Amino acid sequence: MSDMVKLFVNGVEVEVEAGKNLIDAVGAVGIEIPHLCYHPALGADGNCRMCLVGIEDGRPPLVPACKTPAQEGMKVLLDAEHIKKIQRDVMELELINHPIDCPVCDQAGECSLQDYYMDYDQRESRMTVAQVNKNKKMDFGCGVVHDQERCVLCGRCVRFCREITKTGELGIINRTDESRVNIFPGRPLENRYAVNVVDLCPVGAMTSSDFRFQQRVWFLKKSPGICHGCSKGCNITIDHNRQKYEDDIIYRLRPRLNQQVNGYFMCDEGRLSYKQQNENRVTQVLIDKSEASINDAIQSCLAKIENSSSPLILVSPNCSLEQLVAIKALADQIDAPISGYSDGYIKAGDGDDYLIQDDKSANRAGLNLLEIDTTKAKFEERLATADLLINFDNDLSLSYSDTELKEMLSDTVIIALSSQKNYLTDLANILIPLAAYSEYAGSLINCDNILQTFDKALSKNAPLDDAAIVAAKLGGPMKNATDIFCELQKLIPALSNTELQNIPAEGLNLNNSEASNVTA
Amino acid sequence: MSDRSQLISTGKPFAFDQQRDKEFERLAKRYPIRESMILPSLWLVQEQEGWVSQESIAYIADRIGTFASKVYEAATFYTMYHLHPMGKFHICVCRTLSCWLRGKQEIVDYLKDEVGIVPGQVRDDGKYSLEEVECLGHCGTAPVVQINGKFHENMDVEKLKVLLTTLQ
Amino acid sequence: MEVKEVKILSAKFDIKNAHKIETAKKHGAYSTLDKLFSMKPEEVIEEVKNSGLRGRGGAGFPAGLKWSFLPKDTGKPIYLTVNSDESEPATFKDRYILVKDPHMMIEGIIICCYAIDCHESFIYIRGEYTSQVEILQEAIDEAYNAGYLGKTVDGHDFKLEVTVHRGAGAYICGEETALLESIEGKKGQPRSKPPFPAVEGLYGCPTIINNVQSIASLPFIMEKGADAYKAYGTEKSAGTHLFGISGHVEKPGMYELPLGLPLLQVIDTVAGGVWKGRALKGVIPGGSSTPVLLPEEAKTATLDYESMAEHKTMFGSGGIVVLDETVDMVELVQNLIAFYHHESCGQCTPCREGLGWMLKITEKILSGEGSMADIDLLRELCDNIEMKTVCVLSAACTMPVRSYLDKFRHEFEAYIQTDPSPHKKQEQASP
Repeated sequence: MSDMVKLFVNGVEVEVEAGKNLIDAVGAVGIEIPHLCYHPALGADGNCRMCLVGIEDGRPPLVPACKTPAQEGMKVLLDAEHIKKIQRDVMELELINHPIDCPVCDQAGECSLQDYYMDYDQRESRMTVAQVNKNKKMDFGCGVVHDQERCVLCGRCVRFCREITKTGELGIINRTDESRVNIFPGRPLENRYAVNVVDLCPVGAMTSSDFRFQQRVWFLKKSPGICHGCSKGCNITIDHNRQKYEDDIIYRLRPRLNQQVNGYFMCDEGRLSYKQQNENRVTQVLIDKSEASINDAIQSCLAKIENSSSPLILVSPNCSLEQLVAIKALADQIDAPISGYSDGYIKAGDGDDYLIQDDKSANRAGLNLLEIDTTKAKFEERLATADLLINFDNDLSLSYSDTELKEMLSDTVIIALSSQKNYLTDLANILIPLAAYSEYAGSLINCDNILQTFDKALSKNAPLDDAAIVAAKLGGPMKNATDIFCELQKLIPALSNTELQNIPAEGLNLNNSEASNVTA
Repeated sequence: MSDRSQLISTGKPFAFDQQRDKEFERLAKRYPIRESMILPSLWLVQEQEGWVSQESIAYIADRIGTFASKVYEAATFYTMYHLHPMGKFHICVCRTLSCWLRGKQEIVDYLKDEVGIVPGQVRDDGKYSLEEVECLGHCGTAPVVQINGKFHENMDVEKLKVLLTTLQ
Repeated sequence: MEVKEVKILSAKFDIKNAHKIETAKKHGAYSTLDKLFSMKPEEVIEEVKNSGLRGRGGAGFPAGLKWSFLPKDTGKPIYLTVNSDESEPATFKDRYILVKDPHMMIEGIIICCYAIDCHESFIYIRGEYTSQVEILQEAIDEAYNAGYLGKTVDGHDFKLEVTVHRGAGAYICGEETALLESIEGKKGQPRSKPPFPAVEGLYGCPTIINNVQSIASLPFIMEKGADAYKAYGTEKSAGTHLFGISGHVEKPGMYELPLGLPLLQVIDTVAGGVWKGRALKGVIPGGSSTPVLLPEEAKTATLDYESMAEHKTMFGSGGIVVLDETVDMVELVQNLIAFYHHESCGQCTPCREGLGWMLKITEKILSGEGSMADIDLLRELCDNIEMKTVCVLSAACTMPVRSYLDKFRHEFEAYIQTDPSPHKKQEQASP
């Protein structure tokens, strides 16, 4: 734990972290200092002037909190009348040239300016002269749409592109109240993290072409999750909603802070990967391409397994640890070899030195932990002799061409348990739909050997079983979560004395020797 | 200031001529970081072409090894960089305090009404452009007019009439 | 004190070709260097401190004291940047030094750099000074060729490079940290302080920024000593200053005067008095950002830092503007706000948005569409904007505007139609 100092806010003593700036330091104990330009990932800029606070006996007596480190004995004034007046006055100046189009602005409901107006200002406008006109609906590239008139020129987006992605596409051009964010003509946003500027924007100046006008944000339910787009496991907020007469679907993913994994950000591909949860889903049980009930399909599967002389189980590298344990137990039970072959999920060279990984699967480390073989050679060798393939959501079309698959599987009975349609689900003799990751809870180990858990986010109108439950139904011995967790505890020493829900919010770093000491 | 974000594209790639190229390399050695060359480079462009085009900004950014957005910021922030072609004679009339007190408006009105040059624009024949600028630092000899960089002090309409006849 | 010009900084201004090194040397340029290099740097700093020289850029901070803030042994180079951005309306003194006696400034740079152990200096000159920059660059080239700059200075083992960096039309670059940003290739947007430039300035290194006139005063102090310099001026405002007198006087121009002279006498005897035999309406004492003085107030004011502070205005840059009885103060305020609005760097919300608003309100009043509430709002905005920003540009606008609103409110009120015409009443009545 870092050093603590005692200081006073409005005369009340609080203990805060030494050296942190006042916004973060007193924010940690629940005291809000309004700010627009400061962002913990981008540092202090000091341009918005919303965070001006008084320092009693201080020199100078008025300071920007974002640039002022917390010091022992400091007397910070927030609710003094002259400080409240400054907040109102700066708000008024923020608003004079800001279009009052909240009813049609996508940001309404999660807009700092709107919130601060309600908290700190609430005055009638005194603006009786013409506003400054700027450009609207500018296509900045990468699905980012900009409105210069709504922009408060906090510069977060500019700093993000210069300091985080180091691509520098954005700038604030001109000066005076003609200042505006823009791209240089012909050099639009061109980085794989661009849409983060939409999250960073404290107002409605940056919107995502994918999300804008889809939902009013106050209708969205915000559930925590882990992105399955690659092996980084960025922490996300899954924003979803069930509209009247419709199903619960995801409208957007947003990064969720985890300093140990992804910080404040996520990549654009991961952000758009929610579409796979909404679209192209397997929803209908099929036996020999005919609609069937789940019970009939299970019975039919059991018969196929019974009759098979050499079954092979294939698992997806996206399966949760719990699912892998359950499926592996099933494999042992029916004496089937198990493979996690999934080279097609790896896009060599696609990753970067920031968040994006080559491996587009979420739990390959889990496969390794369970010692599930992932080699191509073993998979093909076993497939050659197998008369039944039970595939738990592994999209083989990523690893093989359709022609290859047709050829390889010509003599094999296929049971496909799948959340997404793909070439294999077309070939399947029996097809059983599976829940997608937003529809079940589980745990994953990411590329840095950090164990993270996630909860079920969505409640579908017709809920689907997840792979662990299907494995049990197919005769697997792991019938409930307790059995599975006991098995996980054996596999992961760090869990031996704890429960999954007790692992830290930032995840459990399995490289860390202290991890084994985690207790309830 | 008015909006300066609209850059003009010449449709042709830009490059420094030999003389400016040498000058660029000479100046670059004077600074410990390359980005310090942004302002000097924009001056070199303006010296060479008379104005700063979209292509020249991209050229500078690439030559220096910085973001085009940064050069764009500088070109639009600093008002002496011309972002479109000027007249053959670019006339700057100081509009600020001391020049205003001593009659700059008569000069502007004369240029507008009698010579047909509108502030902020280039005259149709391309001969003149006019800009009302902020303090030029010649307040003791106000009003002052700067034509293609040359200062003309203690101006009045009569003197200006004579001066304009010498501009060919 | 006799109200008359002195020739300290301006000693060579009337000499033909004094900007050329040959002529300048004949009249004593670079003659202080032997003495300089025989002294220890600390002794030079001490001498400058003792001289009472205050920064001549406008803020009036003691020059020697500023130098002593430099941290020691940081392992980083120390930079000197000379501020020749002079852009404050009514200020044009540094230009005379640049074109009339640039070698005096270069000699001053050598003195300062030796005192602060600096080997790289930048002169930031405003872009508008086109012919001036040419003269300055020629002088620097001459100094290099004559061995006063470069790998050694006048044969002494002291390396010194001097580079001229041209601005391109931005008043704000006269603010010292905006100036540093501009040299670094960025927009001239002032930095938050702390850290102060003496600790973290140009390229993150310790940096001293001094105005042209401050630097140009150093050769005299070196040659004649601190006491000789202090003999001019007052106790707290030592030395001489290049005053620029402009506006409605018979003989506007640049005059070197000791500090402490009575303002009105200077206007009358040095600048020939208010022009055209008109009456005086007000005096702006130190550049457009300083609050205006009424004739009554001007009577007791003297040209030094203390007296101006007592009169609730500022010495500023010494740019005196005389306003005669015909001046429309509302129009003047419009002219002023338009300037500061145009020059707002756009960084801080209050200045960026507020000055534009103030300008439009003033224009509304001028157009006859204003109301009493607009005058009050304008006055209130001065308070709401001032000192809420990173730098003092907004205050440079609001301080004088407040003074006009307070001292000439009746002129603003005269623009307000308190009794709307029948036509207007009709308009208001219809839905």
